[in-house]
Formats: sequence, C-alpha cells, structure tokens
Amino acid sequence: MITHSIFAYIVVAMILFSIGLLGVISRKNIFVIYMSIELMLNAINLIFVALSNYHNDMGSQVMAMMVIAIAAAEAGVFLSLIVVLYRRKKSLDSDLFRTLSQKEAV
Amino acid sequence: MMDILFLLLSFFAILGAVGMVSLHQPVHSALSLILTIIAMAGLFALLSASFLFMVQIIIYAGAILTLFIFIIMFLNIKEANLPKEPNKNISLFLGSLVLLPINFLILRAFYKMPLHVKEVSSDFGKIKPLGMELFTHWLLPFELISILLLVALIGAVVFGRKEDA
Repeated sequence: MITHSIFAYIVVAMILFSIGLLGVISRKNIFVIYMSIELMLNAINLIFVALSNYHNDMGSQVMAMMVIAIAAAEAGVFLSLIVVLYRRKKSLDSDLFRTLSQKEAV
Repeated sequence: MMDILFLLLSFFAILGAVGMVSLHQPVHSALSLILTIIAMAGLFALLSASFLFMVQIIIYAGAILTLFIFIIMFLNIKEANLPKEPNKNISLFLGSLVLLPINFLILRAFYKMPLHVKEVSSDFGKIKPLGMELFTHWLLPFELISILLLVALIGAVVFGRKEDA
C-alpha cells in the first residue's frame, strides 16, 4: 500500500515543484514562466494538505487557502502587466522585462 | 483502490506539468496546466480535503486558468511574437540534471520521518470546521489577505488604463 504514508504525496509534490523551478529558470516565454510559478504554488499546496492530514489539524488547509488567494491576486497583476508589455513591444520574450529597470520611459 | 487512483492522478499531474514546461505554444501549455490542476484536485480529495478539492476546481481551473486562456486568445499571438528558443530542450535536460541531487537530499530527509497516516475524524476537511478554524485562529491573516486583494485590484486597474487619459 503506497498511500498508508504521506511520503508518496511529498514525492509527487517535490517532482512538480522541480518541474516548475525548471520552467522558471530555462524558458523565455513569460506566459510559461508565470504558469510555472502557479505550478510551484500548487505543489506547495499539496504538501500543506498532506501534512494537514498527517497532523489531523485544519490549520495548514487554511494556509493552502491563503496560498490560493495570493495566487489569484498575482494572476490579476501579472496578466495586466503582460498585456501592457505585449501591446507596446509585440513580443513575449522575458528579456523585455529588463526595460523595467531602465530610467527613461520606453 | 486508493493506490491505483493515486498512481493514476499523480501520473496525469506530472504528465501535464512536463507538457506545460516543454510545449512551445502558450495555449498548449495552459491546457496542460489545466490537466495538472484537475489531477491535483483529485489528490486533495484522496487526502480527504473535500473543501479544498472544490476550491481547486472552482477557483483554479474555473477562474484563474479561464482568465489565462482568455488573455492568450485576446492577445492574438502569432508565431513571430514568440521568443526564439533554439536550445530549449537541451537547457531543460541540463536543468533537470542539476535539480536531481537537490531533490534526492530533500526526499531523503523526509524519508527518515515516520509519516504514517492516522485515521482522520469524520468531519475533517469539510467546510464547517475549516471556517471555524479560519475565523478563530486565522482571523488577522484573513483580513490581511483581503487588503492584499484590494491592492492587487487597484494595481491591475492602474496598469490597464489608457496612457493619455
């Protein structure tokens, strides 16, 4: 029986987190980078829920709900930022975010 | 039965994640991510977190990713607008080789712990005890989350308005 221990869930969560980290560090498409961040948040949610089951305590499920709320807030800001940048530059390259650190307006 | 379900759901979650990282078009990546999110909702249900199962399907798959696919369709992205990634597969492979020992160390640390599940109480994960927990022990973080959502809303409006208005 695999599911008698929550170690299996932690293995799956670690694999998903690593895939998300890989997407952040090796892709240039900002959509894929944003989706990788969402994937990492989800993997952490899975660990929270598994440990909540292990400790028989609802606190970490509340924590997972907070993570979902933060992900929703992040979605709004990030997507509007992508829309503004795409309208000006007509590209999805993440190197364009370098313009955020320059002084003159682009 | 639980084992087969767990293996199936985790297989689909990892499959969707790999597709999300490696596909070229953003629409295909978003559809793979929906597969991952729904499989992960199934994993939440296996861990008897029934309210989070519903929240995951309604908020993630229903709201955030629908918004996401809507934005991708709205921008009308052509092939020329995508960034050139000629050695994408090589960098993904090398990155996974780098990440393997870190994963091994963390999982070995978890493997030493006695992680056997006990029987959970019958109303574990339902909406009522979760709400009781949220409004007794976690009231201040809950209010702070509402302020954070307000700030994100104002930020999105400021980003999205017309330039010379």
